[in-house]
Amino acid sequence: MGSVSCICETHIFWKLNVGIKTKIPPQLAERLLTLFIRNDLIEEVLGDLEEKFYTTAKGKSVFLAKLNYWYQVFNYLRPFAIRKLRSKNSSRITMSRHYFKISWRILVRNKVFSTIKIGGFSIGIAACILISLFIQHELNYDRHYENEDRIFRITNQWSQNGQVNRWINLQGPLKEVFEENIPELEKVARVVTWSWGNTGDNHIRKVNSPQNFYEEGFFYADPELLEILEIPLLYGSKEYTLSEPNSMVISRRMAEKYFPNEDPVGRQMILNDNPDDTYTIGGVMKDFPSTSHLQGDFILTLFGRKFGPGSSGWCCSNYAFYTKVSPEANVSDVQGKMVSMRDTYAIDGFRQAGQTELDEMQEFHSYYIQPVYNIYLNPDQIGDYIDHGSAELIWMLGIIALIILLLACVNFVNLTTAKSLNRAKEVGLRKVVGANRYGLISQYLSESILYSFISILLGLIMAFIALPFFNELAGASLEIPWTSWSLFLLLIVGGVIIGGLSGIYPSLYLSRFRPASVLKGKLSAGKNNSYLRGCLVVFQFTVTIILLIGALVTHEQFQLVMNKSLGYEKDQVLLIQGLETMDSNKKDLLKEELLRLAEVKNVTVGDFIPVQGSAIQNRTFWISDRRQLDPGFEAARWAVDTDYIETLGMKIVKGRNFMDIPSDSAGVIINERMAREFGLEDPIGIRITDMFNNEYQVIGVVRDFYFNSIFADVNPLALFKGEGNATASIKIASTEINRAITDIAGVWEQIQPNQPFRYSFMNQRFESMYEGLNRAKVIFLLFATLSIIVACLGLFALSAFVVEQRSKEISIRKVLGASVAGIFRLLTLNYVRWVLISLIIAVPLGWYIMDDFLGEIKNRVNMSWTLFAIAGLIALGISVVTISFETIKAAVANPADKLRNE
Amino acid sequence: MKETRLGEFEEVILLLVGILGEQAYAFKIAEEFESQTKRVVSIGAVHSTLSRLGDKGFLTSEMGESTAERGGRRKRIYTITASGERTLRDARDFKISLWDQYPAFARLTFSGN
Repeated sequence: MGSVSCICETHIFWKLNVGIKTKIPPQLAERLLTLFIRNDLIEEVLGDLEEKFYTTAKGKSVFLAKLNYWYQVFNYLRPFAIRKLRSKNSSRITMSRHYFKISWRILVRNKVFSTIKIGGFSIGIAACILISLFIQHELNYDRHYENEDRIFRITNQWSQNGQVNRWINLQGPLKEVFEENIPELEKVARVVTWSWGNTGDNHIRKVNSPQNFYEEGFFYADPELLEILEIPLLYGSKEYTLSEPNSMVISRRMAEKYFPNEDPVGRQMILNDNPDDTYTIGGVMKDFPSTSHLQGDFILTLFGRKFGPGSSGWCCSNYAFYTKVSPEANVSDVQGKMVSMRDTYAIDGFRQAGQTELDEMQEFHSYYIQPVYNIYLNPDQIGDYIDHGSAELIWMLGIIALIILLLACVNFVNLTTAKSLNRAKEVGLRKVVGANRYGLISQYLSESILYSFISILLGLIMAFIALPFFNELAGASLEIPWTSWSLFLLLIVGGVIIGGLSGIYPSLYLSRFRPASVLKGKLSAGKNNSYLRGCLVVFQFTVTIILLIGALVTHEQFQLVMNKSLGYEKDQVLLIQGLETMDSNKKDLLKEELLRLAEVKNVTVGDFIPVQGSAIQNRTFWISDRRQLDPGFEAARWAVDTDYIETLGMKIVKGRNFMDIPSDSAGVIINERMAREFGLEDPIGIRITDMFNNEYQVIGVVRDFYFNSIFADVNPLALFKGEGNATASIKIASTEINRAITDIAGVWEQIQPNQPFRYSFMNQRFESMYEGLNRAKVIFLLFATLSIIVACLGLFALSAFVVEQRSKEISIRKVLGASVAGIFRLLTLNYVRWVLISLIIAVPLGWYIMDDFLGEIKNRVNMSWTLFAIAGLIALGISVVTISFETIKAAVANPADKLRNE
Repeated sequence: MKETRLGEFEEVILLLVGILGEQAYAFKIAEEFESQTKRVVSIGAVHSTLSRLGDKGFLTSEMGESTAERGGRRKRIYTITASGERTLRDARDFKISLWDQYPAFARLTFSGN
């Protein structure tokens, strides 16, 4: 630093000096020389250069002499002449080097202890790295827009009796009302993502090719969406891409798949072999980033689109609304204006569409606009059809990561203080030769920082190896940002903090030793801190047992869900998807051919199934006579065929199933819940009406079955006779599932050769409804395992140390007649006591946490005492096994070996 | 053991130390080198070589008297050691034996005599 600035100055000085023509050597050059030259050379070199200077000055000119002097100075920039930095007598640097050298030697000498310390640390750090990546990803949702503060989703809000409910989906015509009357809304776009029309999955083909491909990620949107969500286009322009009827935007990956190396704008694709669903590609967009709440590969335009009867009118709420507001817009003003626009322009429409209770609506209903970056984590609790992240999960994982790290730190503290006797003499001697306490503290701190840096390196490697598994578990696609400097800054800062944190107690403890008593050998095996060590072990095992309880409870809950009798039979049911490309004759043919197979017991074609991926349709129902009197209630409306109930093993409790008679098309089968909702003991023959004034007669009652979440009550459900569109469910009689699949695929191949055979199992689809629970179970299990590993590593090292300390005592006991079992008991009892104390603390805590975690749900697992007993036994068992490695070895050892050398 | 062979520059410097005797210090040696060879050299380069020759054991040095034109600073006087002299002689003998083996020059040498 000094020399650099000096060189800059020299340049200026040199110019000045030339003009003045003094007869002495240039002072600056001289000073520069003394800066870098070895002390023992200064005198002779300065002398030589001065002699040279005067000789030159006499023979030639002062100017040349000065120039030459500079030249000579720079020529002394040679390795032999330059002062060595290290040889500078700095005690701090020398001592740091010394500390690290000693730390390294100790690390290498105690291989088992060091491995355990570093291993525990690295596991904790790897867990922390993975979880931080996950948390960072979750918090970064919808933060990639340039105008994130101006992008909102418009939602309904119903506040009554202090309760606020919010949900998406508004009536289609509101778009124009809002656009024309609220100037703050620069753009409004409607989006349909839920199962409706061609949303979700479809078969797609290019117009000139017969081969169909199955694709997911279709949704409808108004052209304005591209501008509101700032979706970048690779081909096409934002104004025109979606502004023709039946145009669509596809993602880059789809463009590369179907139209490699060409601009697909203007090309056409057909959905589900239906010529009415021919779409022209208007543009290609970049793939949605993984941190976008909205995902998909095909945006179909809503422009010029008419859906089923009346569904784009005022009757029905089918659209999610997005908007970009002007920079100066005030959110609550906008919300207020929306309400007044509804009252001015929309109320009449609602009335004409047959909606009742409009007064109530005006009293309690309003609009809430939600910032786009809140959509994913959903703090506003808005009902929509999107997968949400969970702030609770983020908190939980964050806390778990910190706890595991803390466990590792505790291990470090525990092992270091346990080993303190071995270092006590070192401390004593250091103090005798003049070390002060500050120096000793910094020695032990630098030791723990060394450990933490080695562990961070290992932890990073571990995290890298574990990342693919973690991604699968968390359903994410995370990457370690190797190129980001902030990662490394964080790791370095983290290393210092972790090292400092876990080193502070041991360093204070060790540096406190009094040299006189230590060197006399008065200090016994770290007895004075065995109380603290006990506490730390108790802490570790408390955490471990709580995590174990979590894993067990979620496992039991999951088993309960899987084995619950649901009111229908989910096993041995194969679902074939993709029938929407067939006309009804072909579907009948398929059904007929399938029934010919010996393995097939029953076939039903219908889109409404009681598991994930079912179609959704809800309507409001009344008993016909009371249409004008009652508010009515909402029920699911399912269209099924005559084989449906039998195929899925549901049970008719009153009345009869549908039959192939024309009058049944006006018949309805309701579930028990709906009968109760109507307040009817025997509903057979009763006539009911829906909101479109269609009238039906109840012909049967089906036993309640779970078709939504098993954690809630069964909702009202009405089954109507109708034709299915996309899905066939097949009940398989044979146990040879694989053969059955082959045969069914053969039938499919005959009937629909241009389309891949696509199927799933109903029980798998059922399981995937409880993915979240399953994930929680795996996460608990994973972290319970990690914390057991860390805790056991510590316990193992601790027991090994105690055995080593007490080896002579053990030998003498044996000589005096102690049994192996007796010695084992003596050495183990202490730890067992600690684990038992942990159990006493962990059980109520674990119960409380899991009680809160499960919450108020139906079909909740009973947290019986056996679960807690199992958790306790596992912890106890594993800890005893861990300890016994060393204790048994000590107990069976020949006492003579230990005592001989005395 | 350090390298004991001599480079050309080293050999010249070593010889100059011998020639200059009591006056063999870095500045004088550099001056002498320039006047004898008509080649420019920096004191630093000479000094570096002197210190290397010292490491090899061919030279010893001690601080000598101080003079006014040095600003009262002492100079470091170099002296050839026995091993230095031996190495010089070996270098000369080796070269002469090479000269002798080259017929054209060998004849020349004889005729010169």
